[in-house]
Amino acid sequence: MTARYNRLSTLIDRNFGRIAAAPAIAVLLAVSLFPLIYTIVVSFQNLTMLDSDTSFQGFMHYRAALFDTRLWAALGHTTLILVIALPLEIILGYVLARLFLEQLPGRQVFVALLVLPTVLSPIVAGATWRLMFDVRFGPVGQIVSWLVGEPVTMLWTVNPTLVYPAILICEVWQWTPFMFLLLLAALSNVDQGQLEAAELDGASGWRVFSKIILPAIRPVLVIAILIRGLDIFRIFDVIWVLTEGGPGTMTETLSIFTYQIGFVQFDTSYTAAISIMVVLALTIALTWALRRVEALK
Amino acid sequence: MITRRELIGTASLFALAPRFAFAQGANAAATAVEAAKKYAGTEISIVWEAGLQSLDPLNFSGPKWEELTGIKVNVVEVPTDQMFTKIMQDYRSGAAAYDALNVIPSWMPDLVKAGAMEPLDAFVDQYGYRDELQDIAAAYRDNQMKVDEKIYGFPDDGDVMLLYYRKDIFEDPAMQEEFKAKHGYDLAPPTDWTQFAQIGQFITDKMAPTTYGAGFFRSAPYNHYMFQERFRMEGGKFFDAGSMACTVNSEVGQKVFEMMLAENKFMPPGVEQWNFVDNLANFLQGLTAMTISWPPYGRWAAGYGSGEEALNWVPKTQVAGKVGYALTPLGRPELGVGFALGVSSTSKNKEAAYLFIQWLNSKETSLQRVMLPYTLRDPFRTSHYESAEYRALWPDAPAYLDTIKTSGEKGLLDLSLLQQDKYDTAMVQAITNLWATGDAKASIDALAAEFDAITQKVGVDKQKEIYSAWAAKPGAYPA
Repeated sequence: MTARYNRLSTLIDRNFGRIAAAPAIAVLLAVSLFPLIYTIVVSFQNLTMLDSDTSFQGFMHYRAALFDTRLWAALGHTTLILVIALPLEIILGYVLARLFLEQLPGRQVFVALLVLPTVLSPIVAGATWRLMFDVRFGPVGQIVSWLVGEPVTMLWTVNPTLVYPAILICEVWQWTPFMFLLLLAALSNVDQGQLEAAELDGASGWRVFSKIILPAIRPVLVIAILIRGLDIFRIFDVIWVLTEGGPGTMTETLSIFTYQIGFVQFDTSYTAAISIMVVLALTIALTWALRRVEALK
Repeated sequence: MITRRELIGTASLFALAPRFAFAQGANAAATAVEAAKKYAGTEISIVWEAGLQSLDPLNFSGPKWEELTGIKVNVVEVPTDQMFTKIMQDYRSGAAAYDALNVIPSWMPDLVKAGAMEPLDAFVDQYGYRDELQDIAAAYRDNQMKVDEKIYGFPDDGDVMLLYYRKDIFEDPAMQEEFKAKHGYDLAPPTDWTQFAQIGQFITDKMAPTTYGAGFFRSAPYNHYMFQERFRMEGGKFFDAGSMACTVNSEVGQKVFEMMLAENKFMPPGVEQWNFVDNLANFLQGLTAMTISWPPYGRWAAGYGSGEEALNWVPKTQVAGKVGYALTPLGRPELGVGFALGVSSTSKNKEAAYLFIQWLNSKETSLQRVMLPYTLRDPFRTSHYESAEYRALWPDAPAYLDTIKTSGEKGLLDLSLLQQDKYDTAMVQAITNLWATGDAKASIDALAAEFDAITQKVGVDKQKEIYSAWAAKPGAYPA
């Protein structure tokens, strides 16, 4: 009996870590792995609003997705916003952070004010900018008219040449402060001694930036890029409020497209297939990016 | 030969007939109340369009029903464009969160095929409601109540598009004289779209920027109703009945798109972005001389309910007493949306839910509801149109009710197919694309391609059957 107890006790001691973590792992599996597996299963069936066909359909929906021009267009729109908004947020955030590195009077107050857009809900930000862009009552049009010296009708959410600038202005306005905050923290930790030495040696601004500042802030910058990159990739709220993906489907992003077909049109299995493809693509891209970060270290 | 006794008996019956009718009319509401008392202490949930529409069950009918029966009504407010989704989600998840439903009639085939709605015939017979249903205007009763010959919803909102115009401008002698000299006919509500464009341009030329010829809601989600009406009235057909190939990109479709695009030029700048409220606000403030919209515009333009706190968001009308009502150009207006009351198939309290909607929809209760100044329910029963009480609400109310009645009688049905919301979305996108690109042909071709893709996905044969049944209805296409 004692020997048996001792064996059990030893077994528990040896595996205590695993046993202690088991409940947490079970919860994680239930809330993340199960939905993933279920989504994969559904993607091989044919669940729509009218049919609940659970028979195996092979890669039917994956094939359909590959030839779905609207899906590819949505991916293109998402990428367009990503490649413009993200660099703009980084550059503007960096410039602001450099400005606020100096101990200016009232610095704390200005920092707090600058961060305000980031704490707003994206829905509120979108609604606010929709009002700002309103053709009759919005201040943006009125300011432009005043600058030009004659009434200007700018249909920000209708005109194809203005609709992306409208989205980008809203997106960059809201999330530049996030970049600013992270970069301000990172810049505060740059070795002042190295900067002063470089200055004494007469190093150019670019050389100081590329050889001292960038390596120092790189870990924070990479994380900031990853967070914002993923955020922009799933951008929904702001565009939904501003344009609902229109005019036509000109500003339909992946998230809006997925929402439309999944929760408006109820093409459940097709939506599942697209979701799996997006998750796979993001996982590959993220893994590659993280490896690159590791290599840079 | 008739005897004296028979004569007196027959005369008595005739004399009492109105009272019997009244008693029968009152019965549907009273019957529902009496039968529902056994559920006192329970609660039912009803899905209702968010915003003004839901003030009816929140402020009036819900509390009244609770007072009469002891059944509490929980109103679940949902934006119009999400109602279908929410109802389907509730049904699919089996959550049974809703007992009674407000559904847009063109979505009923989808909801019924999916199994989300309960057939009501047995309840209708059990609670003697069939006779009162006959009082509902034919356009709604014959088209928005049944799917496959079974009753699934009670038409409960007399939605139809009306043309509103500024009488003071149209009746101005100087304007009339100049217009006639220019165009050779009298300045009057337009009877076709060419006249509409000429009148609109004329008023804009004379009065802009104070007043423009016309303004419409041109943005999502309602802009497609006007396209549906105009396309059919100009002779267009949505599909080839034999092959189910989409035919919206015919010459007619392209012409309608081109006309719509051209009209924007005499409308206020930015009209492409106007929604229901923008259009309302601008008409009430006198910025536009003509508009087409649902019946509430007429009530609010007349200032009816202007003292209501719930209507504080509606700009104070500057055009009270100056607004005329007419049929839309070409005379067959789109019925446009509408609402029907139904019962969820997953409800755990179907009978109580049914009794509530019978009471709501009854002659007696519905008249009170359509006269509530702050809600958007429009007259939909013959007895509403003829109600002396309603006709006395403002000076032009008789003309208003008569126009609604005629418009309803001539109304064109919304396209109603399986997965109709997809076709609606495609039309909305095509129209916003039209505003953005200015290319009528490309936009209408893209719409046709999208229609075909949807039909293929739903199944050509299945959809053909539904379309044939829809197209055979008197209000589907003009005769």
